[in-house]
Amino acid sequence: MHNSSITAETTTYKIKKRIRRKTVLRQVEIYLFLCVISFIYIAPFFWILSTSFKPYAEVMKAPPTIIPQEWHLENYSFAWKAGSGNVGLFTKNTIIVVGAIMIGQIFFCSLAGYAFARIKFPARDFLFFLYLATLMVPESVTLIPRFAIIIKLGWIDTYTALIVPYILGNALGTFLMRQFFLTIPVEIEEAAKIDGAGSFRMFWRIMLPLTRPALASLAALTLVFNWNNFLWPLVTTNTESMKVLSVGMSSFRLYRTVQWHQMMAGVVLSLIPILIIFFFAQKFFVRSMTFAGFK
Amino acid sequence: MSRAVRKTMGNQVRLMAVAKQTQRWKEYLSGYLFITPNFIGFLVFLLGPIIAVIYFSFTNYNLSTAQWIGPENYLSMFRNTGYWNSLVKTLIFVGVNVPLQSGVALLVAVAVNQKIRYPGIFRTIFVIPWVCLPVSIGMTFSWLMQTDFGMINQLLRSLHLPGVPWLTSPKLALYSLILVNAWEYLGFHIVIYLAGLQSVPTYLYEAAMIDGATSRVRFLRITLPLLMPVIFFDIIMNTIGTFQIFDIVFVMTQGGPGAATSVYNFELYKQAFTFFRMGYACSMAVILLLIIIGVILLQFWFFRKRGSYEVG
Repeated sequence: MHNSSITAETTTYKIKKRIRRKTVLRQVEIYLFLCVISFIYIAPFFWILSTSFKPYAEVMKAPPTIIPQEWHLENYSFAWKAGSGNVGLFTKNTIIVVGAIMIGQIFFCSLAGYAFARIKFPARDFLFFLYLATLMVPESVTLIPRFAIIIKLGWIDTYTALIVPYILGNALGTFLMRQFFLTIPVEIEEAAKIDGAGSFRMFWRIMLPLTRPALASLAALTLVFNWNNFLWPLVTTNTESMKVLSVGMSSFRLYRTVQWHQMMAGVVLSLIPILIIFFFAQKFFVRSMTFAGFK
Repeated sequence: MSRAVRKTMGNQVRLMAVAKQTQRWKEYLSGYLFITPNFIGFLVFLLGPIIAVIYFSFTNYNLSTAQWIGPENYLSMFRNTGYWNSLVKTLIFVGVNVPLQSGVALLVAVAVNQKIRYPGIFRTIFVIPWVCLPVSIGMTFSWLMQTDFGMINQLLRSLHLPGVPWLTSPKLALYSLILVNAWEYLGFHIVIYLAGLQSVPTYLYEAAMIDGATSRVRFLRITLPLLMPVIFFDIIMNTIGTFQIFDIVFVMTQGGPGAATSVYNFELYKQAFTFFRMGYACSMAVILLLIIIGVILLQFWFFRKRGSYEVG
């Protein structure tokens, strides 16, 4: 009896030891795998940084220098302000356009999302069904009719063309906000109703503050989508001074005789603002990815 | 007296009913007011254009006039080799990218989900490209994949391997673009899978480990079946997203060399904004819409069959 319990103990000890040894091996494999993939992710960024500081002669060199021998900061000043279209100008345009869209979209999406979740009115569910049905329609499907509207209104090459189609909100944002409002207990609203709060006051003072985390995720999603949006600004803006970052950078590449080192300085500059925001609000970006489930 | 009481009571009830009615109308009104701005945007920039694109696809629309020409656009589209080329290129793009991206993402997610130190750091590294401007990512890789001085070929040469004409070879260019796309959005799919893995109960793994199940068996018998709905969801999302590939192609190859990378949306863009064949481009858009609807129906069918969307 006493004996058998000891053997049982030693066998469980042995099993545990074996499992531990296996998990250590496993750990090494996992770290190796993750480090290889991480290298594939870090190396490109390292390489554009390195290129962006080099002079032209050093860029066109084989085998290459990994760390620049000469540091040329003027690549950056060239990309930031040279010519009629430059990264500084593109960044300014992007901030104006995306800033306006974000404020509008967050406000109108939560307003409509609240109504769809909590206010009763005829045809509500039908209207919401329309939103759901169009959730996955690609941008390129509606591109030409939207473009026709902008042409009719004479808005080509204006901020208006870039902002107005997005500022009133979109189906996805409305859907997400509705889902969030549905999770807030009804009792909170009922208490406020007894206190005599009107619909807008209820929304603005009581419900909206409760959805702050959802708003942050919606903001992150709106930011990434509109900052990176390419097709729409590509067709609605022509002059260099009106271009946002995405379109401006592409014309940098395609239509101007800019060399690689200057171009990479431009690329680095174009990525800095959004990366700074990302590092400070990473949580919301990651959350926005899961709660949206869309690219 | 009792009649008087009854009368006032009746009045009160009536008054209350009226008050309730106005209350209800007030609620209706506020509901409509709340959705109005959003709904105007929805009508003008989404629902209206969807209907308009169907109409335009049957006209010779060229921004100024739109004459009804019946199914002529569709017929000329189906006769056009450029159209079929773009469809085939896109199908290859989707067919290679989706298994590659979703597969690697699943592996990485499973690895990050093990008991490792600082999983957050790895996740951050993989997510960064998702927030980066796709156009700038495209430019970055145009440089990395440059034949003579690009980093990748320099690296290959230092290992005494021949350089590869990543973007200049008509055979390779499409696959190079697929690699770039897979790289860029991998993090997004990792996050989706990590969220799914979080809902797999850990006691299942512990029990399996005590039973002596190897990690491969644990992956195949526990992780994979429980994650199936998430995997399917991700594959559908990935398919829909990849069908719309445009930015990278536009910056890196402009559809070339030749028409080797002329994917669907690039062909659509070219027809509309280079040749100004708007009606024709609209019929391309309608077919794209039908394809996306088909993919979504497939998803509905899958989840109806399974009966649930939840993990486990």
